[in-house]
Amino acid sequence: MEKLPQISLPARILGLAIAIVLTALGVGFGFAQALSVQVIILSAIATMALFVWAWRFVIGQFLDPAATAVVAEGPSPLRTAWLQYRWPLLGLALILIAFLVLSLTVEAFFNIWNVISLIILLAILILTRTLGRQFQQNRSAFIGIMVLAGLFSVGSMNIEGFASGNNIKSMLLFASFLGLASIGQTLVALLGGLDLSIPFIIGAANVGLLYLIGLGVPPWLATLIVLAIGALFGVINGFLSYKLQGQALIVTLGTGFAISGGVQIVTSIGSAYSGNVFGTVPAWLSNIPAMNGSTFGLSFPPVIAIWALIALILILALRLTVYGRFLYALGVNRTSASRVMISEMRYWVIAYALSGFFAALTGGLLLGWSGGGFIGVGDQYLFLTLAAVVVGGTSLLGGAGGYGFTVIGVLVLQVLSSFLVGIGLDFKWQQFIFGLLILPMVALYARSPHIRTQI
Amino acid sequence: MSTAAITTTTAKTEAQGGRSNPFLLMPITLFFALLAVAVLRAPSLMSASGIGAAIIVVTPLILATYTLMASTISGRGTVDLSVGPLIGFINVTLIQLHGAGLLENPIAVFLYCMAVGALYQLIFSLIVIYVRVQPIIVSLSGYLALSGINLVILPRPGGMAPAFMAEWGYGTSIFSPILIILLLATAAWLLFTATAFYTHLRLMGSDERAAYTSGVPITIVRIGAHMISGCFAGLAAICFTALISSGDPSQGTTYTLIAVTALVLGGASLGGGRGGVFGSALGAINLYLITYVLSTFNFGTVQSFVTNLAYGAILVISLLLTLLIPVIQRRIRNFSPLLYFVALSVVVLGIILHATFDYGALGAAGAIVSGPLDMQAALTGPLEIATVSPETEALRIAAAPLVLSVLLLIVIAVFVRLAVGQSSRRTLAPAVAVVVAALVLAGAYVMAEGVRGPETEAVE
Repeated sequence: MEKLPQISLPARILGLAIAIVLTALGVGFGFAQALSVQVIILSAIATMALFVWAWRFVIGQFLDPAATAVVAEGPSPLRTAWLQYRWPLLGLALILIAFLVLSLTVEAFFNIWNVISLIILLAILILTRTLGRQFQQNRSAFIGIMVLAGLFSVGSMNIEGFASGNNIKSMLLFASFLGLASIGQTLVALLGGLDLSIPFIIGAANVGLLYLIGLGVPPWLATLIVLAIGALFGVINGFLSYKLQGQALIVTLGTGFAISGGVQIVTSIGSAYSGNVFGTVPAWLSNIPAMNGSTFGLSFPPVIAIWALIALILILALRLTVYGRFLYALGVNRTSASRVMISEMRYWVIAYALSGFFAALTGGLLLGWSGGGFIGVGDQYLFLTLAAVVVGGTSLLGGAGGYGFTVIGVLVLQVLSSFLVGIGLDFKWQQFIFGLLILPMVALYARSPHIRTQI
Repeated sequence: MSTAAITTTTAKTEAQGGRSNPFLLMPITLFFALLAVAVLRAPSLMSASGIGAAIIVVTPLILATYTLMASTISGRGTVDLSVGPLIGFINVTLIQLHGAGLLENPIAVFLYCMAVGALYQLIFSLIVIYVRVQPIIVSLSGYLALSGINLVILPRPGGMAPAFMAEWGYGTSIFSPILIILLLATAAWLLFTATAFYTHLRLMGSDERAAYTSGVPITIVRIGAHMISGCFAGLAAICFTALISSGDPSQGTTYTLIAVTALVLGGASLGGGRGGVFGSALGAINLYLITYVLSTFNFGTVQSFVTNLAYGAILVISLLLTLLIPVIQRRIRNFSPLLYFVALSVVVLGIILHATFDYGALGAAGAIVSGPLDMQAALTGPLEIATVSPETEALRIAAAPLVLSVLLLIVIAVFVRLAVGQSSRRTLAPAVAVVVAALVLAGAYVMAEGVRGPETEAVE
């Protein structure tokens, strides 16, 4: 372990004071809520020790050896301490205030598990601020994994059955739907585009596949047809978005509306029930995404394995093959990329075609999962795929990120939403908290430089 | 040789700057095409109640588009996805506060709505400036958070709008308070465009680095743009509340996608630096007219699907047509949107008069003519809901010379204009093209009508 830098006396005093206040507050609340004394003492010691350690270790990371030498001539020791540590202090104070407010308002909020959760939260925050500097390249992945670990441990402490096999299986199941749907969004974002037609293609594939099966087409053939049509729509999207540079958002939205309307017209022709399609989903298709499905005798849904395999291939392909590197090259600087003879249009079309293909695949899998066709099945993926890409750390401006990041983003979103469901929040609160959390998560690593530095 | 090169370069700079804005070409054309079809399909649109109802429905959308426009001009790819939920948020909080007995006074309501909008946009801009996250992520975050909290504040549609708004939503007359709000908002923006602040805003939107290096206070300009956008959001929420005269937590959310679409249809650039009230309003009206026109056709059970399909297709096609703009720009050096607008509005006025008076004489009877295939009926059949009676036919023939002479006058006017305009340059090719086209048109007309037309004109 490397040597810890020595922190100055006022900083140490400040840390100790905060630790004592924190511990006193904890003890007070403990007595107020009539917990057993052992628990109080234990948590007080834990709070104190962890905080003092964290303070010493973490604030040390912020210190610049050169700066400490100059400190002696600063305005006053307290003021320099404040100036040096004001951001971590403000952050800590905010979290503590939030915790206090929650403890005061919500009955029985203050218990040992929540205190530990708080400490984990603080530790994550501090670690990301300090250790994150060591990871210049994959900072967002590191932070994402930290958040994931923190959420998971907090969840499994607070919610019964959170870490059970079944729950993990179901989380992975839903994550794999979102993950497959986000593949296209990631690839397109790497080029600097957007694909908002994904939810519409998912819905159209969902209805279209069932329609084809209902017509009597063999299911395997129907699936292939749907996937091919999805890819074809993607090609159209890619072509249009390439031609209309910078308008990808609206173009894909427009084609999405058109696709969704068109598929519904096709499926309602000759049917008395407009918009409703009936058919029987074959057993193998419903086995793939089913909770009780089995993969070569093992009892987990095959879709997880499929997702893992595709993710592995994509990550390696983006990293190692020349196609992947060209994709990044185009995203970073298109002018220089086209100077080295990379065909821009081909990559746009391929990226969007893959996006359409995987959206259609997701639609088909969702059909197997639910057993009935519904055009609106993909609606929630409109912004969720975008959120997964952004939270993972792929830049929407193109050129930075990768599918591995998106996998982390998908898992974070999934664990977060199961956690929120677990503590009994319904959809609207989940959405609210989602919205509030995306911003700080992105702010941790995707801040753009100040305009001053860009001139 | 060199003088020619210099003239072309000056012409190019003229074409790019100044008042010519070729991006308005698409929205204007689409607007008049849709308006013509809408009037032919449903003449009732052109009545006091028809226009009144249209204004009531379209005003919240126009104001939502203004909201987006004000912040989009500021650049950095600011596409405020949260505009819909923000309108919904102001709507539901207004309804709940009113239900609790606060906010009875109209002035208080207006102040409250605009203050909430401006406050939200202020926070938005501060985050964009100081946290330096991409604006689209901030707006995505706001979208999710606000659409969640809206459902918490008002779980299901309901509640009562303030009493003074009760009659606003009827839409029985054209000059409703809603129209006044819209006109005032538009006028406010037009006045704003005369300020130096607006110039700074556009400069920042097109090139932020250039703006920063030339001393534009970009922080203040960005905050200002967002605050204006917030005030528009407040007005949009008031009009939305008047339209539904209750609270609805999820309806407002749908405005996001429509407003973004309207903004782009109106010729604004999502990259920043380009956009205006005229285009935005036209874009929003176009979207309304698309749904209006589609609703006059009867597709049976697949109605909503056809609407979706046509909506998407029109969106993509009109975007593709913007690719033609550089080509047009090369041909027409100084395109004047105002002149184009006036010219097309004369044409559409004729169609409106035709629809109003001819159909009035006919009654709304018998759209389908049986019998042998009539060429004219086959062409106009899908557009018009009524057929033309013999009297009208006779009237038309009588009016033909007049129309022809007007056409000739227009051709002459265009020719003279071109001749004067091109006199300093060597190229007369466009003028030649116009004259040839006019001759061909006149010839076609003469062939169709017999030799009668020009002679009657000469006699008269």
